[in-house]
Amino acid sequence: MSDGPLIVQSDKTILLEVDHELATEARHAIAAFAELERAPEHVHSYRLTPLGLWNARAAGLDAEKVLDTLLRYSRFPVPHSLLVDIEETMSRYGRLRLEKDPQHGLVMRTDDYPVLEEVIRAKKIAPLLGPRIDGETVVVHSSQRGQLKQLLLKLGWPADDRAGYVDGTPHLIHLNEDGWQLRPYQKLATENFWAGGSGVVVLPCGAGKTIVGAAAMATGCTTTLILVTNTVSARQWKDELLKRTSLTEDEIGEYSGSVKEVRPVTIATYQVLTTRRGGIYPHLELVDGHDWGLIIYDEVHLLPAPIFRMTADLQARRRLGLTATLVREDGREGEVFSLIGPKRYDAPWKDIEAQGYIAPADCVEVRVDLPRDERVAYAMAEDADKYRLCSTSETKTALVEQLVAAHPGEQLLVIGQYIDQLDEIGARLNAPVIKGETSVRMRQKLFDAFRAGEIQTLVVSKVANFSIDLPEASVAIQVSGSFGSRQEEAQRLGRLLRPKKDGRAARFYALVARDTLDQEFAAKRQRFLAEQGYAYRIMDAKDAGAAE
Amino acid sequence: MSLIRALSKDLEARSDDSLRALFAARPDLMSPAAPDFAALAARASARVSVQRAMERLNKPEMQVLEALHLCTNPDTGHGISAAGLKKVIAGATLTALDGILHRLEDLALIQRCEPPAGTPPAPKQRFYLPVGSLKDVVGIYPAGLGRSYTELVRLQPAFAQRAVQLVTELRHSGASVPEAATPMDAALALQRWTSAPKALEGILAKAPERTRALLDKFGSWAMGAVPQAQRMASIANEGPDVGPIDWLLARGLLVPLDASHVELPHSVGLALRGGMIVDHFTVHAPRPELGLTSALLRRNAALGAIAEALRLLAELLAAAREQPLATLRSGGVGVRELKRLADRLRVDMREAGLFLEIAALAGLLRLDVDSSTWVQPAGLEWISLPRQEQWLWVVNAWLASERAPSLVGQAVSASAGHQGRPSSAGTTINALSAEAQRPDAPLIRRRVLEILHELTEEASAPDGRAPVLDARSVLERAEWSQPRMARRFSSLVPGILREAELLGLIGSGALTQLGAAVAVEQPERALDILGEHLPAAVNHVLLQADLTAVAPGYLSPGLGERLALLADAEGQGPATIYRFSEGSIRRALDAGQDAASILQFLREHSATEVPQPLEYLVQDTASRHGRLRVASSASFIQSDDETAIAELLQESGTASLGLVRLAPTVLTSAASPRETARVLRELGLSPTVQEAEPAVVRYKRTTAVPGSARPVYSAPRSAPAEDDVEAQLAVLRQRPAGPPATSGEAAAQLGLEALERAIRLKQAVTMNVVDGQGNSATETVVPVSVSGGRVRVFDPARDTERVLSIHRIVDVEPAAGQVAGHAHKQGT
Repeated sequence: MSDGPLIVQSDKTILLEVDHELATEARHAIAAFAELERAPEHVHSYRLTPLGLWNARAAGLDAEKVLDTLLRYSRFPVPHSLLVDIEETMSRYGRLRLEKDPQHGLVMRTDDYPVLEEVIRAKKIAPLLGPRIDGETVVVHSSQRGQLKQLLLKLGWPADDRAGYVDGTPHLIHLNEDGWQLRPYQKLATENFWAGGSGVVVLPCGAGKTIVGAAAMATGCTTTLILVTNTVSARQWKDELLKRTSLTEDEIGEYSGSVKEVRPVTIATYQVLTTRRGGIYPHLELVDGHDWGLIIYDEVHLLPAPIFRMTADLQARRRLGLTATLVREDGREGEVFSLIGPKRYDAPWKDIEAQGYIAPADCVEVRVDLPRDERVAYAMAEDADKYRLCSTSETKTALVEQLVAAHPGEQLLVIGQYIDQLDEIGARLNAPVIKGETSVRMRQKLFDAFRAGEIQTLVVSKVANFSIDLPEASVAIQVSGSFGSRQEEAQRLGRLLRPKKDGRAARFYALVARDTLDQEFAAKRQRFLAEQGYAYRIMDAKDAGAAE
Repeated sequence: MSLIRALSKDLEARSDDSLRALFAARPDLMSPAAPDFAALAARASARVSVQRAMERLNKPEMQVLEALHLCTNPDTGHGISAAGLKKVIAGATLTALDGILHRLEDLALIQRCEPPAGTPPAPKQRFYLPVGSLKDVVGIYPAGLGRSYTELVRLQPAFAQRAVQLVTELRHSGASVPEAATPMDAALALQRWTSAPKALEGILAKAPERTRALLDKFGSWAMGAVPQAQRMASIANEGPDVGPIDWLLARGLLVPLDASHVELPHSVGLALRGGMIVDHFTVHAPRPELGLTSALLRRNAALGAIAEALRLLAELLAAAREQPLATLRSGGVGVRELKRLADRLRVDMREAGLFLEIAALAGLLRLDVDSSTWVQPAGLEWISLPRQEQWLWVVNAWLASERAPSLVGQAVSASAGHQGRPSSAGTTINALSAEAQRPDAPLIRRRVLEILHELTEEASAPDGRAPVLDARSVLERAEWSQPRMARRFSSLVPGILREAELLGLIGSGALTQLGAAVAVEQPERALDILGEHLPAAVNHVLLQADLTAVAPGYLSPGLGERLALLADAEGQGPATIYRFSEGSIRRALDAGQDAASILQFLREHSATEVPQPLEYLVQDTASRHGRLRVASSASFIQSDDETAIAELLQESGTASLGLVRLAPTVLTSAASPRETARVLRELGLSPTVQEAEPAVVRYKRTTAVPGSARPVYSAPRSAPAEDDVEAQLAVLRQRPAGPPATSGEAAAQLGLEALERAIRLKQAVTMNVVDGQGNSATETVVPVSVSGGRVRVFDPARDTERVLSIHRIVDVEPAAGQVAGHAHKQGT
């Protein structure tokens, strides 16, 4: 056997030894069909899933090439059953094809008669189909294209969608590359996306996902709908587009709670689209009432359920999903892949960091000991109160003061879950607090002041988790997290990763109460980052205060 | 002359080489050594020996033998020649037949005889007869043909009753059947009516459609299952839409046997085959169409499987060391226990069952009789062997084992050859239970390997690709090469192939280099190949900050064991991921390690630095380990008087108690409460004793461990050792041809032959019988039947029937037509 960098396990994972000389080559070879699951410092692990294999087939890779790659780079014999399984799985793709028929419109065709028979007998699929044309062809209601594809995927007979995309209303957009350039990975991500038609691009926070969106728009030159999480983030998209592309103020519309403009490029919030009145979604018309050529989903890991359903009907339009962490706490990653499209680009955070595009980060978990009275209170508390009790310990407040003092002159964020605790910290540090009730204008003002360096310390609740560009924050202190949410932790770290002018490393503190639920949840939250290669150092409170 | 005596003469006349070949082919003939040729001939004619010899015959040999059996009559000495056989075997050539007849003669299954009287003398024409017991062994339907009408009338009273009426009805319907008054006449009439192929063709021309198709189903076997076989079918009340079965039954072309079976009579079957006994003569083995697989894939699969199998076996042993596997009262390891094992090994139950069986048959696990659990024997050598030798150990044990591991988990009733308990419908075979025992497994395994090798040799492509062999192609070849064994093969072959795949003998569906080496009995070659290709054990791990350690390959056993204590293994495959957690570190601390030694161990065996979070985890866990301590003591002393306690500790008289002060008011003592109290009383104190139940101490008997359990495989004896053959030859040759039937062995067989012949010909015999007191007497009787060591005879002198034990009969001679007793001959 060759001395390759891969170890193929019989549980369908692939281990990649990062320090091996062929590691980069092997990574590129397997990235096409395996999904990166964990990327700690020495051994990355990938997983083979039916979805990943089918996506590879969709991208033109056949089973023979996959087997060949595995055998070539594997250090040990590859479990034979796995090889058989890969071949078998990949052969299921494309037995059914969705095609445009000049006479009948959208049809489903097959060369494998029994498969079609099996499929059209499935209870959930039958209503989506029209009349049977002949033994191998059946008409599909074109509005049900997404739904059908998703159900076929569940049945294990993924369809090869050859029906193509609508072009949308043409609208000239190009990138203004003066003083900046598309980074190689952004370029690659855009190309991968466009070649694949639809799909998801996964890039770490601060790595410039907005620019990938802009580049996609420039490639397509078509009217575009951008869906974002909130108004602040909508404004940031607008600013960024004005700066990076040929689009002018008049060409970009905002469609949110306060403003309802529809322009060639329209930025809408998830919230307004999912507003429900009298059992219907009045604003959904924005989506299907216009001839969009491209729909961009920002922070696709937060996509709400109604948007999922809506997206199913949009299969004829190009869809681009952007995210830093495709970990959904509700486990619906699979649906994202099947509705928006497969992952088209993914890079471990550490790789981008190594290229210097995001700031290196130093994560520190500081363990505080609860004082005796709090320990007793914790021990006697009801289960429902326990987490709040331990994560809002007053020793944390004191420690925050110490840590803030240890980083003089740095832009610093204190992030937390419980408003009382944040208010108290704000008062102790004499810093403004941004929370849910803070108005959008106030938020914007505070963020601007923070960016300008007029304010050095900002205390924020979870409203600041996403899509807020805080370029110069270099230290964050998380006093309490929202239970075990992995993606939240990642987003919070993401706040710090925009590269610093002086190339400094960012510092992320997580304060954790020892021997409590807080510690357990912290360990859960950290898993995503640990798997991305961000290792937490663990310190005791007394050492942390002294060392800094 | 008796057939056995003739065979004896024939054997004696053979060359030594010819005898050597005979012994090689039928080793049972010389175990134990035969004293003389008469005994040898007797043995060669014995039913069991003939049966064994027939198991080794291939399909064309069986076809010729069966045809020969049907065309000859040993009683009248009517033999047949190759030319004669050619007429009844379609597609046979004289050369092929001659070759097969020679081989059968060499095997002493057939013997030469005189040409029938009136045959024109042809110098090259040789006539043959089968050995006497062949008719008992060849089965009820030789060549798949049914019995004759006359026999059916004799054996099936229901048919006999109906036969005459049947013929009458046939005559009424206009068939050209001779008239019959008795059942026997009817049988002969039917026989004559059906025996010519042309005539049958004419009869069937009027049959309802699908009759042909139905008859074709009887093509290879004369019996078939039919619902309500004994229905009243008659030509008289036959409608126009009569079904084929009714039609055939009404004309006696099918004969009902019981409520659900019918038989196609001999003459009908023969006529359907166009008068040929054998209509498909298969001289050459069928060549299956096989796909090919590349050498790379084959080797990859084999090495992968071997590494995996050895890893799982090692893990299985570790699991058994932790907690031995309990057995059920009815024997075997139950489903719940197997599930536990499967979870522990992270495999499914089926695989867990297989590996458990393999571990046990290789002697890696042993049943501890005291606790009724399966445990690893003490000092098991296997664990410390290099991996290739571990593999060979397991393979050797598997080859020689009478267990059929793949039967585990199958339904009890589905396993052929075993009598399931009546209530066991739907139950499955438990691992390590008696139901998975198959005494012929080693033989079949050997044969399967040979067949795999044969097929591979025949079909392999020049570019190193080898044929993909499935159970079907193996069974097809087995069916051709040993038709008499086919049924035994069919139940075991799929399992054997699966097990061979687990052990790397088959990879990617094809026989691997290792498998080929084992098939031709060159295990050293397999060892060499394996030693070269199995990756060496690694002795380092990669520690990562997400609290995992990755072992990038097979970890040397000692290291693996220590890591398994420190962290929980995850995943399945050549590499193992160990995840550290507070719980796992605590486990190591409990086992007596401390933070320093754990970190030292990690540093020594890590290819990288120990990450800070891991270091912190170890130290943090260790610093909090032991807040509560548990220790043992036999008794304690408690007093509210602290000074009394302190004094007691100082007292020299209490030294024997091993007192330890736990708290100001509590001491523990190493002695029992009674003993402690006694010592205290001696010191003038008056303690009260609160005696709890005494701890139960059990001493376990340790079973002595036999020496090395390493299995040494020798192929199932296909040929006897050379020395033994020479010794046997020497014995046979040194003895001059003495009077026939000198040995008791030959005499018994000769006696039986004479008896059976007499029964068939209904002749009287003269026999010398010894009574209970040892007095011998000579009697002339007519034997009726022989079975179970007894012979039933009719004594014409007293006009009664009697039963005699065969061992009391010293000698049997045909009475040569003299029924009344005179001219008695004294036996030996």
